[in-house]
Amino acid sequence: MKTKVSSLVNLNTNPCKMCMPMGAVTALYGIKKCMSILHGSQGCSTYIRRHMATHYNEPVDIASSSLTEQGTVYGGEKNLLQGLKNLITLYEPEVIGVATTCLAETIGEDIKRMIEKFYDQNPGYENITIIPINSAGYGGTQFEGYFKALYAIVSQVKMKQEKHNRINVITSGISPADTRYLKRIFQLFELDVILLPDLADNLDGAYKKSYSRLPSGGTSIEDIQQMAGAKYTLFLSNMEPEKSPAGYLYEQYGVPYERIELPVGLRAVDRFYDLLAKISGKPIPEEIKEMRGRYLDGMIDAHKYNGDGRAVIYGEPDFVVSTTRLCVENGVMPVAAATGSVCSQLENLIKEDIDLLAKRYLIERYEIVQDTDFKNIEELAQTCQANLMIGNSDGRRIEEGLNIPLVRRGFPIHDRVGGQRLRMLGYEGSLNFLDEITNAILARKETGFREELYNTYYKEKMEDKMEEVKKDVPKTGAAFTKEEMEEKTKTHPCYNCGAHSHARMHLPVAPRCNIQCNYCVRKFDCPNESRPGVTTKVLTPEEAFEKYKVIKEKVPNLSVVGIAGPGDALANFEETKRTLELIREYDKDVTFCLSTNGLMLPMYAEELVRLGVSHVTVTLNAIDPKIGAKIYKHVNYMGVRFTDESAAAVLLSNQLIGLKLLVERGVICKINIVTLKGINDHHIPAIVEKMKEIGCYITNIMPFIPVEGSVFEHNPVASNKEINKLRIQCGQTMKQMFHCKQCRADAIGTLEDDLSLQFRGCGGKEKTEGTSKALRFAVASKSGMFTDQHFGQVSELYIYEYKEGRPVFLEKRKIDKYCAGSDECGQGEDKISKIIKVIGDCNGVIAMRIGESPKEKLKEKGILVLATYDRIEDAVTMASNKLLS
Amino acid sequence: MVVEEIVKTDSSILKERQDFILHKQAGGCSGDGMRCDSDSVSGAVSQRACVYCGARVVLNPITDAFHIVHGPIGCASYTWDIRGSLTSKEDLYRNSFSTDLRETDIIFGGEKKLTAAIEEVMEKYNPKLVFIYATCIVGVIGDDVEAVCRTLSEKYGNHIIPVKSPGFSGNKSTGYRMACNAIMSLIGQYKTKEKVKGVNILGDFNLAGEMWIIKDYLKQIGVHVVSSFTGDSSYESLIAAPSASLNIVQCAGSSTYLAKQMEETMDIPFIKVSFFGVEDTTSSLIRIAEALGDEKARQKAIAFTESKAKEIQDLVERYKQNLIGKKAAIYVGGGFKAISLIRQFRSLGMETVVVGTQTGKKDDYEIIESLVKEDTVILDDANPAELETFMIEKKADILVGGVKERPLAYKLGIAFCDHNHERKHPLAGFEGVLNFVKEINSSINNPVWDYIKE
Repeated sequence: MKTKVSSLVNLNTNPCKMCMPMGAVTALYGIKKCMSILHGSQGCSTYIRRHMATHYNEPVDIASSSLTEQGTVYGGEKNLLQGLKNLITLYEPEVIGVATTCLAETIGEDIKRMIEKFYDQNPGYENITIIPINSAGYGGTQFEGYFKALYAIVSQVKMKQEKHNRINVITSGISPADTRYLKRIFQLFELDVILLPDLADNLDGAYKKSYSRLPSGGTSIEDIQQMAGAKYTLFLSNMEPEKSPAGYLYEQYGVPYERIELPVGLRAVDRFYDLLAKISGKPIPEEIKEMRGRYLDGMIDAHKYNGDGRAVIYGEPDFVVSTTRLCVENGVMPVAAATGSVCSQLENLIKEDIDLLAKRYLIERYEIVQDTDFKNIEELAQTCQANLMIGNSDGRRIEEGLNIPLVRRGFPIHDRVGGQRLRMLGYEGSLNFLDEITNAILARKETGFREELYNTYYKEKMEDKMEEVKKDVPKTGAAFTKEEMEEKTKTHPCYNCGAHSHARMHLPVAPRCNIQCNYCVRKFDCPNESRPGVTTKVLTPEEAFEKYKVIKEKVPNLSVVGIAGPGDALANFEETKRTLELIREYDKDVTFCLSTNGLMLPMYAEELVRLGVSHVTVTLNAIDPKIGAKIYKHVNYMGVRFTDESAAAVLLSNQLIGLKLLVERGVICKINIVTLKGINDHHIPAIVEKMKEIGCYITNIMPFIPVEGSVFEHNPVASNKEINKLRIQCGQTMKQMFHCKQCRADAIGTLEDDLSLQFRGCGGKEKTEGTSKALRFAVASKSGMFTDQHFGQVSELYIYEYKEGRPVFLEKRKIDKYCAGSDECGQGEDKISKIIKVIGDCNGVIAMRIGESPKEKLKEKGILVLATYDRIEDAVTMASNKLLS
Repeated sequence: MVVEEIVKTDSSILKERQDFILHKQAGGCSGDGMRCDSDSVSGAVSQRACVYCGARVVLNPITDAFHIVHGPIGCASYTWDIRGSLTSKEDLYRNSFSTDLRETDIIFGGEKKLTAAIEEVMEKYNPKLVFIYATCIVGVIGDDVEAVCRTLSEKYGNHIIPVKSPGFSGNKSTGYRMACNAIMSLIGQYKTKEKVKGVNILGDFNLAGEMWIIKDYLKQIGVHVVSSFTGDSSYESLIAAPSASLNIVQCAGSSTYLAKQMEETMDIPFIKVSFFGVEDTTSSLIRIAEALGDEKARQKAIAFTESKAKEIQDLVERYKQNLIGKKAAIYVGGGFKAISLIRQFRSLGMETVVVGTQTGKKDDYEIIESLVKEDTVILDDANPAELETFMIEKKADILVGGVKERPLAYKLGIAFCDHNHERKHPLAGFEGVLNFVKEINSSINNPVWDYIKE
């Protein structure tokens, strides 16, 4: 059973955000020859590196000042200064970003002062630009951390104020591929830009013959210095951050700026190109106009499919705004838009857009939430009936759990490759993104519509279907004579109460199953059917045949061989067939029986008759698909997985058809019915009636035994009294079985005496205890696998015996360390005597190494000393051979 | 260039790091060995994580516990369900709960928030087991997590257990110990003199179902498993552990400490085992039967391991032909894993040329040194620069490591094997041997390498 957790007031359940240092180092990765160091404990940088490395598929090196307990108490200055020096040696950067973490901020580290001190102490390093960034993890999310770093860069780098004609372009977090797109577009408009940051190469580098551990792309410090003299700043972001780098350049140096939204979706891209045309004084190039037309064409092509989409959009605020607008433009309804950041602007930015679509589609409810977590997003996806999610790969657990497809965009993408190359900017990126969204909607439709329509509209009655089949059944008559059947049934312990002295054997040759019953966990032996879950060992047909021969010799009253699992006999028909053929060739008289869920019976009934199967047991728990739907989780039939009522209907119709076919051919059919209280118990008399009508021989109403981990784990159990009452009641309709033992798939013997355990792994001979005297050894081992320890360092010894040509582990013995440190070593005399006392009964000592003094002592006592590094077993054998030779 | 010269002169080796690097010499023993088991060098770009990480690795697989991270959001965000520990029942542990401390909490303290959080969880779900992970800043801002846990445990009569894991208080190994302490504080309350014949499995986290594989092996040889630490475990299964008659310890680095405590206070002896590689798996299963004094199980183990080994032998042998003579580099978390990998490579006819660990101990490195051929480079707490330098120098064909090292290997044109907590295929047992060989083969012999060598 799984606990369903709902969203909590006082806890963030499954964070939909990361911390500030993550954003800060991401921005720093867009600076040329820049290395970053996190001032804090080691884990922060390691976790961030892991997160980035899996998304970008690039080596991500971020240093840490590796604060320890001491640094936390007395301040981490020494660590940081040393760390800066070390990373300069290793990476030779021109720029270093020093970002603080929760810990550094909490203990009040003044990194600005420390950096000054570093310059003072290291005169050769003044040409390295070191930028302090205060980015306490608790101060905001990666979204804020990213802008804090950009702000720190423009405000800390020494600027050159000479005016020039270049244009600053500052972007919020975009992918390396989108960065490359922007750079191409600026070239197209012949704009000379300073792009901050520039992630294009550093987080999506090319493979090169020689590797440079400090990537060489990114915005150069010289360019950054020129930002103060630029004629204009274009700020691509859906919102103005609290600390705006563009705002700073304006206030400080009078560089005018315009912020426009990220160019995602038709309207935003149009505005972007119009603005570029205005700034550059150049008309929009033809190829861009062409691309616009192609995007529009794509929008039209996809629009009808998009109308089915009900999307949950989540992630960083900027991402949510852009994606929401793109969705709205294309008629994909955003039923929920959510960010983990605190972002009060979010609602204002997208409400109007969503409202418009909601009105057109007559959709009443949608949600815009900020400062939220994935648990809440999951609940929104359910309550708002989403059929699509758009966001980073952290939504994959919801995708898996609720079976809602996820279009992956944003950061991080951990379960797919190519996160660094995902596009959404420009007409091309928007089209790319839109195609993925539409295809997710389409994929769902294409794979689901058959089943959905069948479930909704197919109402034809089971009986009609039966009539049809009746017409088709060839009446070939009984395959067994009446006398034959009487004899076989008399000696079959599962069919005849009087046959208890006859033994039967179940051969577990059928591992797979094609249906999932709610009372069964296939991993375990299922006590509910004579087709149990997994037995101790599945046999191949050949092994099964060998086993049969052995058992037959030892249990002469063996009269019945059954195939009963551990899966379904007919879901493994090839194995079942081969087994029966082999045995039949060897023994003409043995009775074959088989139990099955009946799903494949119509297909194999005739073949079973041909193989000489005279008795078939079908577990049939309902003759009403409505009731069956509660019992069967799914049914795999002809390559399709059926669920709910359609699953039960498919199963039932095949069971009924199959049974008819068998009865026609004179096969004795037994019906097992598992009594499920509150589900089918009242329905059982009706099942028995139906079975009587078909012509089955006996029904076996069985108690339900709950299996741990199954859906019915906690369902109520009918008492023996209730079961017997049912049996007596149904006994008036037809013959009832009163003696079922619900045996295992590998059951052997009479019902009273399951011999299976005795015969398991059959063919293995019991070895008898030897009488020869054993040798005993003390082994020094750290790993427990090898003789890999110094004798002087043991605190315990593994004691082994060597007998009958095999080493055998006996026990572990503790001893005081012979040599626990130099000051104690003088008392070695006493210690070695102590050890010898502990291992006095041993013939030898084996260790990786051993000192001369203890070696002599042991030799004096007649104890063999072997110094070797080897697998323990091999070493013991080696030592024994020495003693025995 | 010889390794010594690189270590002394190459800019990729920091002075402070020189002692952490060992070059195996002819004639074996280099005397004092190398430095290890100390704090990472600031600015060196260590691959290590933190104390909290170590604690969470060990405890998180407990499936029905509430794992609550008391701290700012990052710690919970970066560790949410990233490891491949599987469950057969409850899946609460796949959530990441955080008190999500903010600026005001740093100023006024987070105790109130923590108390409210625990109370809410208790009142809504009444779990039997709650772990509260204390991260870097909670001690610094003066939160008394232990007191909160004690008070609320008494109030609700349940187990609310503090895990002392501020990131700066050591390294990952410290975290393992803190986790073991947390486990002891739970199971210590359920000590029993009545023992059943059966074992606890320690130090397996059911990555990719490995615990299930091992449990099945033990079932096949007739050995009863009482409890497991901590793969696919639950409150009920953990508190049954004190009745076991033997502990078997798989990941020695993380769990020997727990085994020793259980031996002292619960009278449960332990043996170390390994299920990596055919030989280790074979001798471990036989040893377990022997340690239980169960001759029948021992016979079964011998027969079982023989037949399983036979099953995979041919296929492994065929893959091996593709791999003989290739060179491996290893960079993993602990010594236990590195040692077993060196052996596994050897059994495939491959030579290990670079080997390092994040948290290996002195005796781990001694074993490593005695295992590898001369001229092998051994590193403790290596950084990307050193890995790069030595993998190139030693011409490694494949690196076995964690997620962070993977892109580095690729950039250097070196194949890669994921031997980390995120993998999705088992590497333990006989099945694992086959998976391992397949993975090595499919990476090392992928056609892509033909093109980059042009």
